[in-house]
Amino acid sequence: MSIIDLTSMGEPQSDLRKELNDRLTKLQDEISEYCFQCGKCTSGCEAHKLLELEPHKIVALLKRGLINELVNADVIWTCMTCLKCRERCPQRVAPVEILFALKNMAVASGKQIPGKYTGMLQSILSIGLIQDIQQTTTRSNKPVKRDELSLPPLSKPTDVAKFQAGIMKIAMEKV
Amino acid sequence: MKKKYALFPGCLMPTEQYAYELSIRETLPLLGVELVDVEGFSCCGEPMKSVNQLLTLYLSARNLAIAEKHHLDLFVPCAMCHLALTECQYILEKNPAMMERINGMLAAEDLKYTEKRHIAHTVDLLYDEIGIEKIKEQVKKPLHGLKIAAHYGCHILRPSEIGRIDDSENPQKIEAILKVLGAEPVNYPQKLDCCGAPLLTNLPESALTKTGQKLQAIQEQGIQAMVDVCPWCHKMFDSRQTKAGETVAAKLDVPVLYLTQLLGLAMGISSEKLGLELNLSPVQKLQEGGAK
Ligand code: SF4
Ligand code: SF4
Ligand code: SF4
Ligand code: SF4
Repeated sequence: MSIIDLTSMGEPQSDLRKELNDRLTKLQDEISEYCFQCGKCTSGCEAHKLLELEPHKIVALLKRGLINELVNADVIWTCMTCLKCRERCPQRVAPVEILFALKNMAVASGKQIPGKYTGMLQSILSIGLIQDIQQTTTRSNKPVKRDELSLPPLSKPTDVAKFQAGIMKIAMEKV
Repeated sequence: MKKKYALFPGCLMPTEQYAYELSIRETLPLLGVELVDVEGFSCCGEPMKSVNQLLTLYLSARNLAIAEKHHLDLFVPCAMCHLALTECQYILEKNPAMMERINGMLAAEDLKYTEKRHIAHTVDLLYDEIGIEKIKEQVKKPLHGLKIAAHYGCHILRPSEIGRIDDSENPQKIEAILKVLGAEPVNYPQKLDCCGAPLLTNLPESALTKTGQKLQAIQEQGIQAMVDVCPWCHKMFDSRQTKAGETVAAKLDVPVLYLTQLLGLAMGISSEKLGLELNLSPVQKLQEGGAK
């Protein structure tokens, strides 16, 4: 299995896209009923001042059905997933969940994945964790590794082939 | 009675945030918690949520199924893992069709998720299960009014709908623990501000700016130290403090400790055993100041 199957950077995954599209359409219906654009989500948004994310506008654009525009907008990748918008919305709309669905859609549509997500995913596929044991240093710059600290062995998948077989089902599953 | 938990380490704590793991393994057994090391855990899936939420759900369910196989509840010291695993339980309980679908995939590893287990984090384990009284009995070297800012972290507080570890707008459990250690918890306006860690993957400059802003505010208020309870928060506030300072053009000088490190110090455990030399922020300031 390759990373392409999961992130579909090569060939867009049509099944996954359909599933995501259904989810976004469902969210769009719900939002149209509930969100009254009070702006409370944006006033507490951790990414608002720094990166100009405006969750209430994301909701408004989805309400108008502009899914494609949103999927292609870089701003959806500025959410810090602090969950304040979900917690504080008086109407139980969860902009953060809309953003997750939009980002998933961007990935499933073959858009380039920003940052180190691809590397992390590759690491999960090969050892089960986002990274292997790292060498750190003490305050006085002495290098330290896990095995020098009398800590037990790292817990990670023991049978990597079986572990990958499980994940592969996500990539191959027909919805 | 001893409380028994599978220690779910996640990725970040056991591969680089060693001080958290060391201080957990030193303190909790003395407070009556038995930590069981279980083979075969993987990433919880949380950082993959932006890429593929089904993958997140699958990885979380996989880890829960491993704990289930050992008939164990879970102790999950990472805020992000705690969110992923708790949310997975919440989703699968509400959605039997999804549970079936996930179990179809888990069969590849002969695993099966069937029932809810208790998922504890450091803060509720200390406050709700061990309890303030029991901690008090173990305090041998009180911290003499040390002024401390508590950083809870977004992911242990929200969304409250799925069950989180403290009140989402006014959490006080860490403060209560700090008090019993003899320290003086300080309420500061930025308490609920995010550390920025989730953006480290794709917008590291912005992530570190969030970190720097919060630390700067703490420094300006004359607070002596910060405690945190998540390897991601700590990576930002402690490991990357110098870099974070650069983003806000400030020379940051705030000692940052894991709550379990501070607890250990108050219990009289040596700083070496608690991994204090691994903190990159100036924690020696506290030791010079008497909180040995
Ligand atoms: S807080 Fe809720 S109702 Fe108000 S604008 Fe945001 S999503 Fe809409
Ligand atoms: S979760 Fe994202 S969108 Fe919602 S408030 Fe936090 S940063 Fe803003
Ligand atoms: S939250 Fe992070 S560290 Fe914890 S398991 Fe998940 S990926 Fe790994
Ligand atoms: S403060 Fe940062 S790392 Fe910590 S829980 Fe929030 S986002 Fe996660």
